[in-house]
Order: sequence, then structure tokens, then C-alpha cells
Amino acid sequence: MKGIALVMFSVLLVTACSKDDNNNAVQPLNELRATDIIADTIIGFSATGQPFGSGKFTFFSLENNRVVPSSDSNSNKWDIGFRGTTIITNSGVSGPGNGGGFVQVGTFEDLKTIAADSVFRTDLSPSNLAIPAGSNRAWFVYNPLANLVTPIPGRVLVIRTALGKFAKVEILNYYKGGVTPLATASDDDKIRKQRYYTFRFMVQPDGSKKLSN
Amino acid sequence: MKLSITLLGFFCFFSANAQDDSTFNSQLDEVVVTATRSERKLSNVAVPTSIIQGKRIAQSGSLRLNDILGEQTGLFITESFGKGLQMQGLSADYTLILLNGEPLIGRMGGVIDLSRIAVGNIRKIEIVKGPSSSLYGSEALAGVINIITDQPAADRLSASIRYGRFNTLDASVNGSIKRGKFSASGFVNSNSSEGYTLLPGSVQKTVEPFWRFTNQFQAAYDFSDKTKLSASLRYNLEDITNSITVQNLGQNIVSAGSEVNKDLNFNPVLSHQISSRIKTQFRGYISRFQSVQQLDVKDAVVSYHDEFNQQFYRIENQTDLVFSDKFNMNVGGGYIHEGVSSNRYDSLSTQRSNNIGYAFVQTEWLPIERLSIIGGMRFDANQAYASVLSPKLALRYRITEKMSFTGSVGRGFKAPDFRQLYLNFTNVAAGSYSVFGSLVAQDEIKVLVANNQIDNLTPSFYKLADLSPETSTGINVGFHYNPVQSLSFKLNAFRNDIDNLILTDVIAFKKNGGQIFSYLNISRALTQGLEAEANWKKGSLDLTAGYQFLLTADKDVLDDINEGKVFTRDLETGISRRITRSEYAGLPNRSKHMANLRIFYEWKNTGWFATARAIWRSKWGTTDIDGNGVINREDEFAPGFVQLNLSAGKNLRNGLRLMAGVDNVFNYKDVVNLPGQPGYNWYLTVGYDFMNKHKH
Repeated sequence: MKGIALVMFSVLLVTACSKDDNNNAVQPLNELRATDIIADTIIGFSATGQPFGSGKFTFFSLENNRVVPSSDSNSNKWDIGFRGTTIITNSGVSGPGNGGGFVQVGTFEDLKTIAADSVFRTDLSPSNLAIPAGSNRAWFVYNPLANLVTPIPGRVLVIRTALGKFAKVEILNYYKGGVTPLATASDDDKIRKQRYYTFRFMVQPDGSKKLSN
Repeated sequence: MKLSITLLGFFCFFSANAQDDSTFNSQLDEVVVTATRSERKLSNVAVPTSIIQGKRIAQSGSLRLNDILGEQTGLFITESFGKGLQMQGLSADYTLILLNGEPLIGRMGGVIDLSRIAVGNIRKIEIVKGPSSSLYGSEALAGVINIITDQPAADRLSASIRYGRFNTLDASVNGSIKRGKFSASGFVNSNSSEGYTLLPGSVQKTVEPFWRFTNQFQAAYDFSDKTKLSASLRYNLEDITNSITVQNLGQNIVSAGSEVNKDLNFNPVLSHQISSRIKTQFRGYISRFQSVQQLDVKDAVVSYHDEFNQQFYRIENQTDLVFSDKFNMNVGGGYIHEGVSSNRYDSLSTQRSNNIGYAFVQTEWLPIERLSIIGGMRFDANQAYASVLSPKLALRYRITEKMSFTGSVGRGFKAPDFRQLYLNFTNVAAGSYSVFGSLVAQDEIKVLVANNQIDNLTPSFYKLADLSPETSTGINVGFHYNPVQSLSFKLNAFRNDIDNLILTDVIAFKKNGGQIFSYLNISRALTQGLEAEANWKKGSLDLTAGYQFLLTADKDVLDDINEGKVFTRDLETGISRRITRSEYAGLPNRSKHMANLRIFYEWKNTGWFATARAIWRSKWGTTDIDGNGVINREDEFAPGFVQLNLSAGKNLRNGLRLMAGVDNVFNYKDVVNLPGQPGYNWYLTVGYDFMNKHKH
């Protein structure tokens, strides 16, 4: 797991006290960024030339902003997991938690509060996940001509953590160092550098659906 | 009438085409027939019209129709399903291609492959831009290309042979004979090439070897000054080698065979001048097209056979009435029976057909000497889809002797084609997807539901309805200026609003994950732009410069952008943001700027000529890479390019013709975006005129 760098972004503090600030002082929410989260990188090629990884998910805790060892996969310590382009939530068939999620069209900044009537999906089966797997269905699109995976702009993953808190995630890049190889790069380069997630996220620790300061 | 039809039948084999029976003086003022379906001086036409003379086609070294059209202002050649023509920013599906006034059939994927058409016997090509469905019916949305072949005239016989890169061999014999009231002409052309490979080491050639063979015969008999019968017969064969290698589970599956396309056209015409004020013309047209792909898969017992047969039969009358110097009228009507059979639609034994009855009227009124107003409309009553009324209004105003203004507004339409109505295709190899025509989709889904093969139906399934024709409204506003005899400027602004565009959409998912598509009238688009052309003819020099500025858009995408529903990603920070209107590049494969410069020079009294033609296309959108549904990122464009074509030759007094040329001198190649561009292409041509020696 070396090479993982977790970078924290400083967020402008809202200087004025909010008016609906009724009881205890509200902590300003931090926008956090995770880079190069390895998601089952390719370790070999099958006889037919298809690349494959070890098949294991990388588990990540949004609440604690860190990668969780796979030994804790059957716990509430992680919120989302990555394997290739597949993203799971700690819910249903994927984990014991109270997680879930859905994809919202819009910008990360525009999602200030999760709509009261929004429905959180859970991972019902490996082919029916809260964040649907597959190209052009949820967060990414795969271009077979360029052989590149690109996160679709304007897609926010709205996540319920294992402990039932709310968070928002925007996947920024799928390649090492947060830089997508050029379409003209070699297939070898594209395969070696893929499955490294860069994403930004924000968690509301107070249990409310408010995701902005 | 009864007599006319008897004569029509009797003289079928001795006829020729008569659409172009005009006498014209190309030096002073050329005559066009396509703009109004009647002979008009080019300077009197109210819609954007241009003419390419046969001589220029020959001097440019063009062999196929796409070669010469690709060098004209505002046109460019698209490369999906053969060589198609993009006009005023509209796809190849929306330009009607006429051969001596009769429509060519055999659209594959909506495109008539222009390389099926040899240009060795073309007298001129007329190009009319803007919707012309008021005269021609379906397909004339963007405009009309009318290829007018040599008319039988004096005794002539010539032959030519050309050899060029990629073992390209092109040989033609062209002749005509005139004996009193009878005249006939013939043209035979063979065109072959070994093809080429753009990616060295690839299993499959980029363009496979092909052979094309064209025969065209025309005959005419003049009963009197007033009555003339003619007919033309054309047979075209195209044989393309197919060797396809598909990778399946790491294994190469090799199949070899051929694709054979056959065209047959027969067109008898009887025209009669009833009086000095009334002329009538009866036209018959039979056209058949067949495309057969036969592949033998290595180690497989069953070979692959894909067959498409299309027939088009039409009878038509047009009568031209001159009421006065200031008022004339063309009225006409006809009946079309068309049919297809294909193993992609049910089976080869099922014949799908459509009958169309139509009538049109056009009037021209000159209220004052400087102004002419043309109004027309056409009604097409169809069996297989909704009927269409296509009106058009055009005017031309002569501001001064040197300046004139033209304006026109018209409706165009394109009927749903048989593929969109009846296709029944399932690709088992590629993810088991299916495409069903709109008229068969519901029944096919019912069967699949009964067999418990459907997972779910999408909202689009419930929108399946009888397809309506795709329609457009086009506006063209032009300005013409001839400051001196040798110099002319043309400017034309255009806008086309297209509704009811037919697109495929997913109507259901199969239980095995396969998608089922059908066709729906779901999209709207617009194209608009400005076209400018300047021409300078001085002595031996003919210089033309042309430019087109083009903006296109999917109107639903524009609405989405205005509503803030379309996003892009900052390439440096990776952060998503809303896209702006100006970032949206519009429809794919459209260049915002296109320009050309064409120079033709003929040395007096020597028989020498030389040409240089340069074409520039600015960058154009290719595919949406990031899944935001629009083309906006720099990496979603193909780079612009310049292509320079050169040719020179000499016509000797003894009848010998020599010519050499190089197309694409700079050897521009773009393997990904321009697979039809093999790089530079040289050629040498030798010709001989047996009867008419050259006069210098």
C-alpha cells in the first residue's frame, strides 16, 4: 500500500456564524482529497490477452480518510471499496454496514444538501450495486478506441457511510498521479497506470444531510 | 396520351436522356435545369446553384464522383458507409443524388457511395443547395446533386487509360454517333486498385482490392423538332475483396470473400412541344440495386451471406406552361413503387414495399423586370409513412446590372427508409444486441417477452410509433456581385432547422444483458453558416477561392446546456463545472471552417493545361471521450489539414492526350480519422480521340 498519499486540502473557513446555528458550534466541513488509491492494479494477462488483477477490493473509510486493511472487510470500518472501475458501498452483499449510495448529476459544489426524498440504493448483488458498474452507467465512460477510462464530468456519488453518515464523492481521475495518459500512449502505459483513483470528498459527521458550509 | 405510351414502349431501346437537351453557351451564361426542373440561365436562378463543367472534371484528374465533389466550396466527403457527401453541414443521408434527373438508389447506412459513380462521361454536375423537396420529394433536404452525362451528338470516339499508385488502373471508352434523327452514345469504364494498408503489419488492408465496371448507353430519336424520344441504360458493378479477421477469445477468426454491388438504371423519356407555350415530358425510370456480401469463414461449415435488394420504379409527367413573358408554370405528378428484400429484414423471400403518389406545381412570376418570384409545392402521399407537403418560395431581385439579391425558404423531407421500418437484426457475436425497425419492433418484443427473454422495457419502448419523415426548414439569403465581366463574387447565408430526426434508442434489455434498439423520431438539429466564393476568369486563367463557415448543434443538447445539465472537467484540476454554449462544438464531423483555392490555366494554342487545387478543413469533432454527451475537449477533435492536388497535361493536334498528376502532394495522413486518405497519389493518363482532333 505504499505510494498512497492522502492530501488534505485546506478549505476556506466560513467566518460568519451561520444564523441557524442553534446549539453547539458547528465544525466547518473539510473538502478532502485522496490520490492514487490503488484499486486492484493489473498483475498479468490471460491466455487470451485480457489483463487481470488479484480480484481484491481496496477499502476506504471516508469518515477517517484512510485505506482500511482487507482484514477489516467484514466490519463497519470502511465506507466504499474500489476494484477496477467497480465501486461498492458497505451495504447489502458487499458489507455488514448501513451504507448505500446513488449517483447525482451536477457539480460537487452544487450539492449543498441531499434532497430529503432521495432514495439510497444498496448493493443488492454484484451485478446490481448502489453505484452501477459498467461504462456510461454511473461515474465513468470507457472509450474502446482510445482504451481509456474517463470519469464523466458532473457526476457526484452521494454516499451513506457504514455508520449511516452522509458524504459526497467526486471521482477525478483513474490513472496514477491523477494524469490520464494521452490517447496516443502505448497500451502498456495505459494498463500500467490505470486503477489509481483520485477523488475529492466531504463527510458530514453530525448525521445531517447538509454537505456544505 | 395513348400514342405517347405506345411510343414510349416501342422505342425503349433506342432512347437517351433528354433532360439536358438544352443548347447553351458556357462562355456567356450557363443553363441549369436542376434548380427549377426547367432550363434557366444560371444568372436568373433564385436558389444557391453552381455548375462543374466536364472539362474541369477531366483536367482535375477525377475518376469518381467523390474526387471532384470534395474540391467544391462547402462540400466535403464523409467516410462512413463509403464516400458520402456533407452539404450545408447535413449528413450524406440528406442530399439527393440524381443521374440525369433520376434518383440513384442503393443507400447503405443512409449513404450513396459516390465512388460507385464514374465521371468519365459527365458533361456537367449541377449543385443546388437548400431544401428542394418542393420539386424532388424525399432526400432533398440539404440539396440536390444532378449528374448530367454527355448527350449523344456528333460522331466521336475516344479512349483513355490511366495508371497510378496502388496499382490503380482506370480505362474508358467513350463514343457517340449521329445519323439524321437518330443518335446514340456509349461509355464503358473499368476501375480497379489493389487497395492499401495504413497500418503496416495489420492483418487486414485499410482499403481492400476492388474492381468497378460501369456501362452506360444512351440513344435518342427526334421525330420532329417538337417530339423527341430518348433513353439511357446504365449498369454498374463493384466487386470488393473482403478478408476479415475478428479476434474472439484470443483466437483469430479469418473469413474471406467479397462484397458485390450492382446498380441498374433504365430511363426512357418522351418529350413533346405541344405549342410554343406548352411542353410536356413523360419519364419512366427503373432502378435496381443489389448488394451481396459472401464470406467463407475458415474451418466453418456455413458461410456468411448478407444480401440486400432494392427496386425503384417510377413514372412521371411534367408539363411546362408559358402563360406570358411574366408568368410561367411547371406542373407534374408521378407514381413510385419501391421495394426491398434482405436477410436483414426477415428473409430474402419477404418483399417489403411502399407506394408513393405525388404531384407538384411551380410558378414563376416576374411582376417587374428586376424581380422574379418562384413559388412551388409538392405533395407526397405515402403508403408506409405519413404524407408530406413541401412548399418553397424563392425570389431574385436585380439591384443593378452588376448586383443581385436572392432569397429562398423551403421545406425538405426525408422519408424513413426501409431499414428504419423493417430491420430485424441480431448480432450474436457483439454482445447479442438487436436492432428492430419501428414497424416490426413491437411484434418482435412481444415474441421475446413470451419467450421470457426480456429483462425490462425502457421508457422509449412506450414511445414507439409510426415513424414520421424527417423534416427541415431551410432559409438561404444570397448576394451576387459582378464588378467586371471577369470577376464574380457570391455570398450565401444559410440556416437549416431539422425536426423529427430519426435516431436509434434502446427500447429494451434482454435477460442476457443485450440491448435492443429501435428507431424513433427523437431529435432536432440545426446547421447554419455562410458560404463565399470569388471567381476570376481572365484569358487562360480561371481562379476560384471558396470558403464556408459552419455552426451546427443538436437542439436538445443546446437546451440541456442552457438548463445547466451538461458538464465538463477542467483538464488541470480535474474539477467538474458547467459547460458554456461557446464550448459546445456541435455535431460530430463538422469543420467550422473550410476553404479551397482552385487554379486552372490553359496555354493558348499549345494544348497545355495545368491545375492546382488546395483544400483546407479546420479541426472537427470526432467522439465524446469523457461521456458528457458533447464534443468540447481538445482531445475530442481531429486536427485540420490542407490537401494540395496538382495536374498538368497536353492535348496534341493528332488527337493524343497526355496527363499526369499528384493528389495530396503533402502526403497528409490521419490513420485514425481519415482511413480513406492513403497519402499522396500519383497517376499518368494517356488518351486518344479517334475522330475529333483537338483544335487549339
